[in-house]
Amino acid sequence: MTSLTASSPDPVVRVSGLVKRYKQHLAVDGLDFTVNRGEIYGLIGPDGSGKSSVMKALAGVLQYEGGSAEVFGTVVDSERAAEHVKPRIGFLPQGLGLNLYPELSVEENIDFFAKLRLVPEADLRERKARLLAITRLDRFRGRLMKQLSGGMKQKLGLICTLIHEPELAILDEPTTGVDPVSRRDFWAILAEWQSAKGMTAIVSTAYMDEAARFHRLSFLSHGRVLASGTPAEVTALVPGLVVTFVSTPQLEAVARLKRRYAQVEALGPSVHLFTPERDAGAAVAEIREVLGDLPLEHLHTNEPELEDVVVALLLKEQDGQAGLSGRSGQAAHSATISQSDGLAVQARELVRDYNSFRAVDRVSFDVQQGEIFGLLGANGAGKTTVIKMLTGIVPPTGGEGRVAGEDMRTAGGAIKERIGYMSQAFSLYLDLTVLENIRLFAGIYGLARRQAQERMEWIVAMAGLSDYVRDRTGRLPMGVRQRLALGCALVHNPRVLFLDEPTSGVDPIGRRRFWELLSRLAREEGVAILITTHYLSEAEHCDRLALMYAGRIVAEGTPADLKIQLEQEVGQLLEIAVDRPGVALTHMLAAGFSGAALFGTKIHLLSRDPSRDEARLREVLAQVGLSVEAVRLRMLSLEDVFVSRVMALERAAQKEGQV
Amino acid sequence: MTARRQATTWGRRLAALTWKELLQLTRDLPLLLFLLYSFSLSVLVSGAGITMQLTNAELLVHDADHSPSSRELIHRFQPPYFAFAGEIRDPREGLRHLDAGRAMLLLEIPPRFHEALMSGERTAVQLLVDTTNAPQGLSAAAYTVRIAGLFGAERGLASAGLSGATASLPMVTSAHRVWFNPTQDERWFQSIAHVLRMTTIFAVLLPAAALVREKERGTVEQLLVSPLSPFQIMFAKVLAMSGVILLALSLALYGVLHPVFHVPMKGSTGLFFLLTALHVFTTAGFGLVAATLAKNQAQVGMMTLFVVGPMLLLSGITSPYESMPTWVQAIMTFSPLRYYIDITYGVMLKGAGFPVLWKSVGAMLLLGGTLFGFGMWRFRRQFQ
Amino acid sequence: MALKEWKETTRDRLFLLLAFLLPALWLVVFGYGLNLDVEDIPFAVLDRDHSELSRDYLQRFIQSRYFSFQGYADEERALDRLLTDTKIRAAIIVPERFQEQLVAGEPVAVQTLLDGTFPLHTDIAKGYVIAINQAFTEDRLIDFLRRSRGLTQEHAGVLVRPLSVEVRYLYNEEVRSTWSMVPALVMFTLMLASPLLTALGVVREKETGSIYNIYSSTVSRAEFLTGKLLPYIVISLVNVVVLWLMAVGLFQVPFKGNFLLFFSASVLFVFCTTGIGLLISLLVQTQMAALIITMIVAMIPTILFSGLLVPIASLTRGAKVQAHLYPAMYYTNIVRGSFLKGVGADVLWFDLLALGMFAAAISGVTYRLFTKRPKA
Repeated sequence: MTSLTASSPDPVVRVSGLVKRYKQHLAVDGLDFTVNRGEIYGLIGPDGSGKSSVMKALAGVLQYEGGSAEVFGTVVDSERAAEHVKPRIGFLPQGLGLNLYPELSVEENIDFFAKLRLVPEADLRERKARLLAITRLDRFRGRLMKQLSGGMKQKLGLICTLIHEPELAILDEPTTGVDPVSRRDFWAILAEWQSAKGMTAIVSTAYMDEAARFHRLSFLSHGRVLASGTPAEVTALVPGLVVTFVSTPQLEAVARLKRRYAQVEALGPSVHLFTPERDAGAAVAEIREVLGDLPLEHLHTNEPELEDVVVALLLKEQDGQAGLSGRSGQAAHSATISQSDGLAVQARELVRDYNSFRAVDRVSFDVQQGEIFGLLGANGAGKTTVIKMLTGIVPPTGGEGRVAGEDMRTAGGAIKERIGYMSQAFSLYLDLTVLENIRLFAGIYGLARRQAQERMEWIVAMAGLSDYVRDRTGRLPMGVRQRLALGCALVHNPRVLFLDEPTSGVDPIGRRRFWELLSRLAREEGVAILITTHYLSEAEHCDRLALMYAGRIVAEGTPADLKIQLEQEVGQLLEIAVDRPGVALTHMLAAGFSGAALFGTKIHLLSRDPSRDEARLREVLAQVGLSVEAVRLRMLSLEDVFVSRVMALERAAQKEGQV
Repeated sequence: MTARRQATTWGRRLAALTWKELLQLTRDLPLLLFLLYSFSLSVLVSGAGITMQLTNAELLVHDADHSPSSRELIHRFQPPYFAFAGEIRDPREGLRHLDAGRAMLLLEIPPRFHEALMSGERTAVQLLVDTTNAPQGLSAAAYTVRIAGLFGAERGLASAGLSGATASLPMVTSAHRVWFNPTQDERWFQSIAHVLRMTTIFAVLLPAAALVREKERGTVEQLLVSPLSPFQIMFAKVLAMSGVILLALSLALYGVLHPVFHVPMKGSTGLFFLLTALHVFTTAGFGLVAATLAKNQAQVGMMTLFVVGPMLLLSGITSPYESMPTWVQAIMTFSPLRYYIDITYGVMLKGAGFPVLWKSVGAMLLLGGTLFGFGMWRFRRQFQ
Repeated sequence: MALKEWKETTRDRLFLLLAFLLPALWLVVFGYGLNLDVEDIPFAVLDRDHSELSRDYLQRFIQSRYFSFQGYADEERALDRLLTDTKIRAAIIVPERFQEQLVAGEPVAVQTLLDGTFPLHTDIAKGYVIAINQAFTEDRLIDFLRRSRGLTQEHAGVLVRPLSVEVRYLYNEEVRSTWSMVPALVMFTLMLASPLLTALGVVREKETGSIYNIYSSTVSRAEFLTGKLLPYIVISLVNVVVLWLMAVGLFQVPFKGNFLLFFSASVLFVFCTTGIGLLISLLVQTQMAALIITMIVAMIPTILFSGLLVPIASLTRGAKVQAHLYPAMYYTNIVRGSFLKGVGADVLWFDLLALGMFAAAISGVTYRLFTKRPKA
C-alpha cells in the first residue's frame, strides 16, 4: 500500500446522526463525523460524553437506536453487517488489560488473538517479533498476563489488537493509567503502523497533551460534537494566552484572580492562568490590576495548550451553572481543627518480596502532616505495593511503615478511622448506586445520620456527581467512577490520605477540580496526602516527589529540585518543531542524538551545549530535506525528568542484563 | 470514647455493611427470581411429586393357571403399591419388558396352582424383580412375600376347615399407631426436606460467593483499610443472607407448606426461625471458609459443591441416618444439616422445644463458632 | 478458541484438581456411604407380660438386623418421650396376658408406636413388624395345630404356609445397594460437576470485559460457543472413563453392555450438562447468580427426578413431566441398562434419541441467545 497523507479524502468511517440510549439516559445525541483513510482521529471530551458508546457502535459490538455508523462503506446496523466489517477492524475496549486473559502468558495472549483472527503462522511470527520489540516486551514473553504491570498490560492489549493488521483500529482510552514511558512506546507503535501499513485509527484519550498527536479530532460533550478539526484549528477556537507567575501569598492571589478568571490554578509555588486576552502586555497589565498590592514575579506567557482550550470550551458550555470552583469552594468547610505538624507517614527500609521477585526494595521516606507527597514511577515500579504496605493491606517482608506513629498492621480502629484510601483498581460496588456507595462508606466509618447526610451532599457537590446520584456505579464512565471513589475515601474527613492513581481516566476539568480540593485539604486542614499519578503535569502540584524504579527510590525532592538536578546532569531542553517529526526523529537518533524523543508533534532534546547542538541538528535535518520550523529553549518539565531518568535506568539495566 | 458510643458505632458499621449486601442482592434480578422460585414453586412440585415409598411398581403377570385362586391372588396386588401392567402369554416376552424398563415385576403363577391350594399341598409362585434400583426391588419383593403369605395362610387354614374361626386362632397382629404424621402423608416429609435442601444450598453459597466477589473485584481492600474488623465484614454477609433466607423460608412456610400441604407447626414458630438462623450461620461458615481458600468464583463453586453434595445426601433426608456406615455417621457429625433436620422435624411435627433439642443446638453452635473462627483466621492470613 | 480456554483452565491448578477429584471422590464416598436400605431402626420395648413367649417374640426384633434395640421402658409415657426426643423411631408394647391368650388359641394385638416423620422409613418399619408378626404367628399356628389337632409338624406347616414365593432378582442378583447405586452415581456426579465447569465461562468474560474481544472479532458465534464447551467436555469425558474404571474395578459392578454405546451416550450427556451450564452463563449477569442457579438446577432435579433414588414410575404426573424435561433420567436408564442389564441400542434407542434431542435443543437455544451486538 502506498503511503497516504493524512488529508486524502477517502472516508473510512462516516458517523451521521448517531443516537444511543441506555434506558432513560441519552449517551449519544445525534453525532456526526468522518474519518479519512490513514488518519489518526481523536475523540476527546469529559467523562460520560459518549466516546465509548460511539466506539463500540463502530466496532459493531453495540446496538444503537438512531442515525448510522458506516465503516468501509457498510452501515453497521445488524450482526451480519458487523461481521462483514469486523475482519478489517481492531478494537481495544476501555480498561487496563481487561480484555486480556490473566491466566495466559504474554505470548499465549498474542497467539490467541492471532488465532482468533486467523493470522498465518509466518506473518504472526514476524509481527509478533516486531511489536514485542517496539514495546520492549520481548523479555517478558513467557510471563503470565496477571503478573504484568498496568502499562505492560495496555501495551500487550494494543499488540493483540493490531496483530491481524486491521485497516481500522478503534482504541478506547488506550493510555489511561499507563506511565509516560510506556505511553511513548504506545504512540510509537501507532505511528509506525499508520505510516508503514496505512492504518486508520480512532483513539480516545483523557491526556490532552496526547491529543496534539491526532491528525484531526472531535471534542465531545453530552453526546454531541462541541468542536472538531485539527488540533491547531481546535486550539484556535479559543484565543487567549496562558500566563504563569509567582505571587505571594499564593492562596490570596488565587482567590482574587478567581473572581475575574475562570481558569486559575496553583501549580506548586506558581500560579497558572488562562486569559482570553491575546496581547501579552495587555494581559499582564490586567493581571496586575486584579492582584492589586500583591507582587508578580517570574512571569512567563505562552500560547495555550489544547488542555487549556478544552477546559475553556467546557466552562463556556457549562455557563449558567454555578461556577465550578465556586461550588467546590464553599462546600469544603466542614473541617475539623487542623493539626498541621507532626509526621504523618513514615516508611523505613520497606521491603516486599513476592516469591523470588522483590517488588519493593528498601524504600524510606516521610510525609509531614499538611504535605502532598507524590510517588512517581513506571507501571510496576512498586508504588502500589508501598501504599498497600503502609495501609496495612500487605504486610512488609522487611522494614516498617508507620502512620501517625503506629504500625498499620496492628493499628486499631481509631487509627484506621483517620486514614482514607483509594485504590488503583476501582474498588467500589458496581451494583450499588452512587448514593448507596457513599452511604455505605459513611456507615462503615460510623458516621451518624445527620453527619452522613452532610458529607454526602458535600461529596456530591465536590465530585460533581449530582447528575448521577441514582445511577448504578457500573454504568458510569470511568472518570465519574474515579471521582466517586475519591469521594468515598474522603467521607470521614481523614487526616492522612492514600491515593493510588486517583485521576486515571478523569477528564481535565475533573482533574483540576480534584487538585484544587487536594491543595485545600493539605494547606487549610493539614491533611497529609500520599499520591501516585501518571500525569506528570499533575505532579507539579506535589510538595515533594519520589521517583521509583524497579522497587527503589532513585530520586527525591521538590519538583523544582528534581528539574534542577536533571538540568545539571544532562543539560537544557531544546524543543524542535519540524514538518515531519517522526521521520526527523529517526534521522536524529541515527545521527547520535540519543536523548531525542517525540513530545506531541515536537521533538525534545536534552543538551549540555544548546547552541552547538542546534546548529548540528539543523545540519543533519537539512541533509535529508526536512525543514526545521523552530528551535527554542524550554523549561524542563517533570515529564522530561521522568522519561530521561527511567530511560537511563532501563538502558543501564539492559546493559547489565547483556553482560 | 465511651463504651456506649463505641457500641453504637460498631452497630452502625454492621448495619451499613448488612444493608449493602441486601442491596447488592436485590440488584441481581435473575438470582432473586430464582430464589423465589426455589422456595415456592419448586417446593410445590417436589413436595407433591415424590414418594419414596413403594408406589406404582409395575407388575406383569404370567398366569398359567387361570383359576379362581390365581385371579384372587393377582387381585391382591393393589395400588398404590402396585400397578397392574398387563398379562402376558410367554415368560420370555415378560423378560423383554423388564429389560426395557417397562415393568419392574413379573409374577409367574404355575399350572395347577388352584388345585394344589385346594388339596392342601405346597405350591410356589415365582417372582422376577428388576433390582437395578435395589431398595425398591427389595421392597417390592417383601410386599409380594407378605401378600402371598397371607393369602396362603388363609387358604391353607381354610382347607383345614379353620377359616371362619379366625377368632380362635393364636395370631399376633399389630395395631400400629403412627405418631407425628398419622396419615403418613409423605408430602409433609418431602416438602420440608426440599425446604431444608434449599436453605442449605443458599446458606453455603450466598455468603461464599459474595465474599469471593469482593476479593475478585478488589473491594475487600477498601474494607480492610477501614476500621472494620474481619468479623464485621464476614458477619454482615451472614446476617444479610440469613435475613433473606428466613424471608424466603417464611414464603415457603406460609405460602406452600401450611396452605397447600397442611404441614402442622406443633412447636414454637419463633424457636424454629431462631434455630434456622443458627443453621444458616453455621452452614455459612463452610462457605466462608471455602471463600477464604478460593481465588475466584469457579474455585469457590467447586469447593462448596464438594461440601454441599455429601451434606445433602448423607445427612439423613435422602437416606436413613441410622443405617449409614459408622464412618459416614462420624463424618456427618460435622454437617449442620444433620442437626437441623432433627430440629426442623422436631419442632414442626413433634412440637419439640429447647429442652429436647439443646444437644443439637449446642453441636451447631460449636460447629458454627469453630468454622467462623477458622474462617476469620484464614481471612486475616490470606493477605499476608 | 478451545485451546485458549484449555490453557486458562489448566493454569488454575486448584480448579482443575477439583474438577477431576470431585467426581472420583464423590463416587467413593457415596458408593460406600450412601446406604438406602432402612436398617438399625432404633426401638424400645414395653413388656407388660413378662412371659416366656413375650420374651421370645421380642427377641425376634432384638436379633433382627433391621432393628436396633435401645432398651426396656417401664411405662408408656417413657416411650412417648423417647419418640419425641428421636431417641427411638419405633416402640413395641406387648400387652398383659400375651402368653395366656396365645396358648389359649386366641388372637393378640400388639401395639407398635411408629415415628411418622419419615414416612418411607415408617412404612418400611411397618413392613418389618408385619413380617416378624407373620413368622411368629406361623410358629404359633403350627404349635397350636399340633397341640389341638395332633398334626405332624410337617403337615401343620403345609397348612399354615402352603404358598411360597420364589424370588429371582434380575440384573443385580445379590441385590447389592452399591451395584444399583454406583452406575447411577456416575450420572449424578457428571450431572453436578459438569455444568459448574462451564457456568462461569461466559459471565466471567462479561464481568471482566474480555467478552469484547469476541464481540469485535470475526469468530463466529458457533466457534465461540464450541470453544467454550470443548475443554470441559474433554474433562468430563476423562471423568466418565475414570468413573467407569472405578465402578468396574473398585466396586466390582458388572458391565454387561456395550462400552461404545455407553460412551457415545456419555458424550451426548456431557454435551447436555456442559451446555446447561453455558446456557445459564449466557442468561445471567453475575458469576454469583450463575454459580447458585447452576448448582440448584443441576442438583435438585438430579436428586429427585432422575431415577437415582426414586423410580420414575412412582412420581406423580407433574413430577413425571419434570423428570422427562430433564436429560438426567434418560442417561440413568442408559447407565443402568448398560451396566446391569446389558441391553443394547434396540432397547435404549429412545433414551439415546432423547439425549440427542436435548443436546440439539440446548445448543440451538444457546446459539440463539448469544449475540455479538448487545443492546447495552
